Amino acid sequence: VTFEKTTYNELPYKFEAGTPDIAGAIGLGAAVDYLNALDRNAVARYEHELLEYGQEALLSVPGIRIVGTAREKAGLHSFTMDGVHPHDIGTILDHEGIAIRTGHHCAQPVMDKLAGGATARASFGIYNTREDIDRLVDGLHHVRRVFG
Amino acid sequence: MGDLRDLYQEVILDHSRNPKNFGELEGATHRAEGYNPLCGDQGRSRAPARRRPCLGHQVPWKGCAISTASASLMTEALKGKTVDEALALFRKVHDAVTGQPTDELHGDSGLGKLAVLEGVKQYPLRVKCATLAWHALHNALTGNDATLPLRNERAALERGMRHGREDRHEFVD
Repeated sequence: VTFEKTTYNELPYKFEAGTPDIAGAIGLGAAVDYLNALDRNAVARYEHELLEYGQEALLSVPGIRIVGTAREKAGLHSFTMDGVHPHDIGTILDHEGIAIRTGHHCAQPVMDKLAGGATARASFGIYNTREDIDRLVDGLHHVRRVFG
Repeated sequence: MGDLRDLYQEVILDHSRNPKNFGELEGATHRAEGYNPLCGDQGRSRAPARRRPCLGHQVPWKGCAISTASASLMTEALKGKTVDEALALFRKVHDAVTGQPTDELHGDSGLGKLAVLEGVKQYPLRVKCATLAWHALHNALTGNDATLPLRNERAALERGMRHGREDRHEFVD
């Protein structure tokens, strides 16, 4: 490359300047191996159980509304709490060692349509348990107490 | 990690429940919108003319407890302040919430009631919540938005939403 002229390599190399994401590729391979070692139907069943348990548990907290109620859902619940912004929910849960995602989730138009703004989102994976969900619910009760 | 009670002090909770001075300000000469694309907080700041006592207003504020309380406290703190004093206060608040050492001695930040906002310095993710209204104020007083015609406000806000306007509100020390 000079100020006057740039010589491009052939496809696909011209789009691969610099060192590729080697660690990312190795990580992806490890994740694929991990998932392949599991019974996929059992994974789906377990996550669905957590999803149903989570729905009941979340709705037991006053002022919680679950956003997204399709029959076929992945293992996560997006929700809002009356009178409390999701970022405030996130900070308080974070304090109790509970990690959730909050905000627009890089999907502003759909968030505006479904929730009128930001939401909180708890994801359930095979490494989560019902006890984790119970702790989440305890944390949400704490949020309610802070905001009285 | 800091104590949760330092962040959610009673004053913050009170102001977030009942924000002060929210509404249109007749005769405003400076205006700007603040928007944080990460959480959807948004609001507009109004302040009347240069060299006259300045009074900030926001409409309509939609945000978390920290940003709402910060905006509300800002409107109270701005009452009777000149533009220069308002800008000095902006810098003071900015330094306090980002954990910069203040030039005041003996631990008194000179912030008065605004000192409750200092709790956010323990929470890097929440600093922008506390500064959003202040950045909008700073923009209103110094930026091009001061002469923005009202009819263009909507378009500017929408442009800002698409391009993550909040970044433009970063104050460069």
